[in-house]
Parts: sequence; structure tokens; C-alpha cells
Amino acid sequence: MSAPLPSVLFVDDEERILRSLRMLFRGRCEILTTTSGREAVEWVRRRPVHVVVSDQRMPGMTGVEVLREVAAHSPATMRILLTGYADMDAVTASVNDGEIYRFIEKPWVAQYLVDTVEQAARVARHDFALAAARPAASAASPVDTAVAARVAVLDDEGALAAQVRELLPAAVRVEHAPDLEGTLELLADHDVAVVIARLSSADGDVADALKQLKRLRPATLAIVVSSLRDSRLLIGLINEGQVFRFLLQPAPRELLRRGLAAALERHAHLRTQSDLLQRHAVDAPRHEPVATTTGRLLQAWRRLREAAMLRIA
Amino acid sequence: MTAALQAFPTAPIASDVASRDATNDADARDRAPLSGLAGLLLPTEPVRPETSVLDVAQQFLDSRHAGLLSLPVVAVGGRPVGMISRYELMRVFLQPYGRELYGRRPITALMDRAPLVLPLSTSIDEAARTIAAHVRSPITDDFVLVDDAGYAGTGLVLDVLHAVEHRLAERSRELERAYARLKASQSQLVQSEKMASLGQMVAGLVHEINTPLGYVRNNVEMTRAALGDAARLVSAQQAVIDALTGEAEPDDDLDTRFAEVGHLRTRVDAAALDDLCGLLDDTVHGVGQIGELVLNLKDFSRLDQAGLQKADINRLVESALRIVAHVLRKRDIEVVLKLGEIPPLDCAPAQINQVLLNLLSNAAQAIEHERGRIVVATQALDRRVLVVVEDNGKGIEAEHLSRVFDPFFTTKPVGQGTGMGLAISHQIVEQHGGAIRVSSKPGTGTRFLVVLPVSGAAGAAP
Ligand SMILES: Nc1ncnc2c1ncn2[C@@H]1O[C@H](COP(=O)(O)OP(=O)(O)O)[C@@H](O)[C@H]1O
Ligand SMILES: [Mg+2]
Repeated sequence: MSAPLPSVLFVDDEERILRSLRMLFRGRCEILTTTSGREAVEWVRRRPVHVVVSDQRMPGMTGVEVLREVAAHSPATMRILLTGYADMDAVTASVNDGEIYRFIEKPWVAQYLVDTVEQAARVARHDFALAAARPAASAASPVDTAVAARVAVLDDEGALAAQVRELLPAAVRVEHAPDLEGTLELLADHDVAVVIARLSSADGDVADALKQLKRLRPATLAIVVSSLRDSRLLIGLINEGQVFRFLLQPAPRELLRRGLAAALERHAHLRTQSDLLQRHAVDAPRHEPVATTTGRLLQAWRRLREAAMLRIA
Repeated sequence: MTAALQAFPTAPIASDVASRDATNDADARDRAPLSGLAGLLLPTEPVRPETSVLDVAQQFLDSRHAGLLSLPVVAVGGRPVGMISRYELMRVFLQPYGRELYGRRPITALMDRAPLVLPLSTSIDEAARTIAAHVRSPITDDFVLVDDAGYAGTGLVLDVLHAVEHRLAERSRELERAYARLKASQSQLVQSEKMASLGQMVAGLVHEINTPLGYVRNNVEMTRAALGDAARLVSAQQAVIDALTGEAEPDDDLDTRFAEVGHLRTRVDAAALDDLCGLLDDTVHGVGQIGELVLNLKDFSRLDQAGLQKADINRLVESALRIVAHVLRKRDIEVVLKLGEIPPLDCAPAQINQVLLNLLSNAAQAIEHERGRIVVATQALDRRVLVVVEDNGKGIEAEHLSRVFDPFFTTKPVGQGTGMGLAISHQIVEQHGGAIRVSSKPGTGTRFLVVLPVSGAAGAAP
């Protein structure tokens, strides 16, 4: 065979889960397993691990804590949470602290898990290779990140837009759109680094739009601010929208500021190393948004798609 | 003050006053709460000190003064100098020659020289207190009201009474409303504590069920795929055998069939089937676990049984332990059971379960070290059952010990503690006619003791 198999580390305090997973992935990757979060972090420090798949509720460290440490020691390692219970706090932390690639619930569908892990492994191998080729590249000047960047705020009330404007340096252009159409028009006409969206309903167009957007504009990062404590909504936004941050409303100033700074930096990084964009690949949304959208919204989508085509061409 | 006022309604009151107050009653009520005595002011025209007794008697007949027990005597310049009552006049006139003896003398000869004089700014409560201290039985006098400029008018004792009564009624209505609100919010709290502990429990249980469900499903999916491979291998091998033994037409793709068998054998071999058997053992174990959890949950909530019944406290303890098992296991807490021989207990099992669950989860939450240990002991002691839940956790500070049963008392961070667990447990145990006690030594551990009468709450409905 050509390349050696990617290495995948499974972490779960139930030995039977690990046994089952070992069987499922036999022959597909180099399998590492442990029942201890601490040991998992040790593995990642000692050797390259392409993907870590962790349970959330475990004695000692939680899955999010494990994945956060993994990210700190080995940013190229792809992180997946595989858990039996999705409480809102865990899901929120998995986005904001763990920056995870997928949130998968038990019981899982075997094929989906295999596909997802393999996909993640491909991305990670690519990034590992990249990092090896350009050792110091990733630490390149984070200073010019904000230069000429553009941020779009989708907020029907306007208070959030005002807050974002106040938190960002003057060099960053903050555009405010009160509705989705306006936001899509902004996105069609400009290169937008970050979209900050206030989400007031779980099944509105906005959540769908954020998912579609990630497919058309993977380099654009989304920060969602919402008062909805709906873990299902958020899991959808992770798996299908790779939402970058999720803040519960009212978003603490400092969290928002840090989220914005991290998003701008990440965007700059993605633009210089477009190879990294695969990390932001998303699952196909469960349904197309077109069914519910109005004419004007449809128009905006069409323009955005065309703009995306041009960019690719 | 209340005690003094209660004497008023029994005091005989002149009938003309009673009839008068029927009309002014409503006014008095409306005015009184606004401005104290000022609201009760009657602008009575006073008599002069030099007015003769006969003239004063005449004035009492004036319809404007119909409701008054007494008339004020006011000197020029507005200084009130006395009060003359109908009662006093009547007493004098009823004496032999009383009218002749006193009729032409000035009213100062008969008046009360130390009447009750109150400033207009006096509050109703204050006035009620002063009146109660001064009042004579029967009530013969009203009182004089003054302001900075001197005489202002008169006030009726009866009006003050009504005002006080009105305010008392108002206050008791307010109290009633406050009580109703409190009660509603308390039952809401009980409900929300139930929901909170239920929520935590459900989170744990969902995780506990989905974990075995995860490997069960995965194992079954893999088994199905492997069986497909095995079936294909069997039929490919059969085809080869058939071809070799001449049972079937020897055809030209024998080579392909051999290749297929060879390929399939890399996917299904004896070792793989062995692994599969292992996975199926796990699967059986997992399904058993799920079944047990569901059974416990049903037992625990007693959804199929309601109200009072005979229950075995030891079984309730075991069932509560199984519900918190995942928490205990995750924290590596050792559980020591010392269950005694206990007669069946009259109780509401779901409620006793809630008490046990609260005590156990508090105990688990109090343990921060690695050598956690919880002792649960039951014992029968003539017609009573004792349940002890003891932990070797961090203990309770002496100054907190008296407050742990208080609603809302919690030392846990927001989101973790509601402070209602022990308050509700206390209530449940009391409703069962029992008692709950705590003792603790900071740094060493805590012990909760629950005592329940075997025959349930005698009289008190749980
Ligand atoms: N076993 C225990 N060990 C130490 N402290 C305890 C224990 N049980 C109760 N407490 C104390 O009593 C408080 C009130 O308990 P409880 O009414 O159950 O509310 P909560 O658990 O939500 O805080 C707790 O916050 C804790 O400080
Ligand atoms: Mg408690």
C-alpha cells in the first residue's frame, strides 16, 4: 500500500465501546485506544495522532477538556466528540474550547462514523505534511490580520452590531444588515472574513443560511449569538456549518472580543494557506433552504453562488 | 394595641351615634388611610366657655351635632379648654333640681377640663393607642383635634375604630395574598427541584443507556456485514465444491470462483468470527444493562403505582443506589450496605425515593478525594425504621449545620445546587410523621439519619 495508515485515537471509559470501535476500524487506520483522558493527552504529546475521537462524560477529564488539550499540543490533529448525552454546556464548550470537527451522538451509524473519521484523517495528514514542510509558517505575522478585513453583522435589533463595531479596531469594516437578504448581498459583493449572526429562532432561515454559506465560502467564519439553549440546533451548526463560536446571549463582552479576534486571525490564516480550508468541510445540510425562501432571498443566494463560482474560477 | 382595641366593640355605645355612623362610615373609611386623623376631622362649631349650660343643651339638639357624644369648649383665640358630653348634661339634668341649679351657670362648671386633645397630624395607630389609654366605659366623649393655630374640629372615637378595623382587614387581605403567593411559589420550587434532580438524573441515564446502545448497535451492524460476507463465502465455497465434485456443470469461471473464495477468506476467517462472538457477548451484556436501567427507572418513579403503600425500605435504598450508580462509579466511590431486617413500611415510595436520592447525591457531591465511601444502613427499632446515609466527604461547617434544611441554602455553584434538596426531604419526612437529623465533622464526613414510623404518619396525610 502507498502511505502508512493514519493514526486514530479513541478515548472512552467504557472498554466495550473501544472494543467495538477497534473492530470497526480494523484495517482502516492505526488504532490507539485508552480509557483515560490524561493518557490520551500523553499519546498526542508523544507522537503524531491524526484524529482523536473522545467520549464526553468520563471520570477525571471530560471529553472537551481532553480535546482542548489535544488542540493545544497538536493543532493539526482533528477532534471529534462521540458522546451519549449532549447537554448544552458540553456542546457549547466543544465549539468554543474544543473547536471540534464533528459532534457525533451515540448510538452512531457505523458508516457515517467511518466516513467522518476517514475524512478527518485525510485533512489531518495533509496538515501534518504542510506543517512539516513549513515549520514556522503557521506562526507568521498575526499582526496584519485585521488589515482591510470586513465583518458582517446580521442583527435585527442593531445592538449587537454596535457592540461589534466598538470592540474591533477601526481598520476593520463592520457592516450591519438587519436581515438575511441584506447579509447575503453583502457577502456576494465583498470578501467577508467573519459573519456574526444573532439567531432568534431554531428553524428560521438564518441557521440554514449559515450552513449553506460554509459550503460556498469556507473561509468565512461564523459567530452565532443566541439565547436558544438548543443542543440539537448547535450540533447542526457544528456538523453542517462549522460554526466558529457560539455565544449565549447576552454575550459577555470579553468573550465576544476574543471570539472576534480569533476569527479574524483564523480567517487571515486560511486565506494565506487555502489548503487548510478542508478543515472547514461540512456535512450536507439535512435539507436545502430553498424550499422556504422568498423571491428576494432566492435572488441573493443566486448572486452569492455566482460570486463563489467566479472566485473559484 | 390590638388587645386594647378589642375591648371597644363590647363597650356600650349610644344608639344615636350608631345610627349616625351608618352614613359617615364610608367616608371615614375612604379618608382615614390617606392622612391619619386629618381624614376623620369634623368641623364642629365649638361652644364658648361662658355659654350657659341650658344653651349648650340646646345646641346638642341641633341636627348638625346629632352624631356627637360631646361638644368642645374653646376659648377666644382657639385654645380648647374642655369638653362637655351629653352624658354629663343628662346626669346633671336627671338630678332633682339639676336643671334649675346648673342651667344658668357657664358650661365651665360642668365641663371635663382635661379632654383628649390630639394634633391633626397624629396617625391612626397612634390615636388608637392614646384613646385606648384614656377611654372610659361607657364611652362618653369624643376628642378634640388641634393644629398649629389651635382648635381645628372634633373626631369620633368610633371613626378611629372603623379606620383601624378597615386597616386591619386590608392588612389581613394583604397577608392572605402574600401567603397565597408564597405557597404557589413554594410548590413551584418543589416542582423545579424535582425537575432539576430529574433533569440531572435523565442526563445521566441517557448517557448510561446510549453508551451500551452505542456498542450494541455498532456490533450488530458489523455482525450483519460479517454474516453477509460469511454467507457469500459459504456459497462461493459450495460452488467450488460442486464444480470439483462434478455436481454442477464444470464451467470456465472456476478460476474466478477460486479467486472469490480467496478474497472472501481474507475478510471472514475463524479469527474474525471469534472476534465477532466476543462482540456478541458484549452485545448481550449491553442489552442486559439497558434492560436493567429501564427496570430501575420504572421501579424508581413507581409510575404504575401511586400514593401510600407498603414498601420495603431496603429495596428502595437499592433502587436509589442503582439510579446514582453512574455518578458513584465515575467517582470511584465505594458503597457499603448494612441493611437490617425491616418490616414493610407505610409510605409514599416515590417520595421516600426522592429523599434517598437527595441524600445519596449530596453525599457523592461532598466527596472530593479518591477514597470515597458511602455507608447506607437500615435498622428497625420498635415500630420505627432508621436509615443512615454516611459519607467521608468534606463535611459541613459548624455555622452551616443549622441551615442545611433551609430552602435555598446551598454552598454549591449556580447550576449545580438548588438548595432545595434537603428542604424538600425534610418536608417529606415530616409528612410521613418522621424526622431527619444531620451530624457532621468538617474534613471527616457527614451523617444523615432518617427515622420513619412503620405505620406511616398517624393522622397527617403524606
Ligand atoms: N453529605 C453532605 N456533605 C456535605 N455537605 C452537605 C451534605 N449534604 C448537604 N450538604 C450541604 O447542604 C447544602 C444544602 O443541600 P441541599 O438542600 O441538598 O441543596 P443542594 O445540594 O442543591 O446544595 C449543600 O449545598 C451542602 O452545603
Ligand atoms: Mg442536593
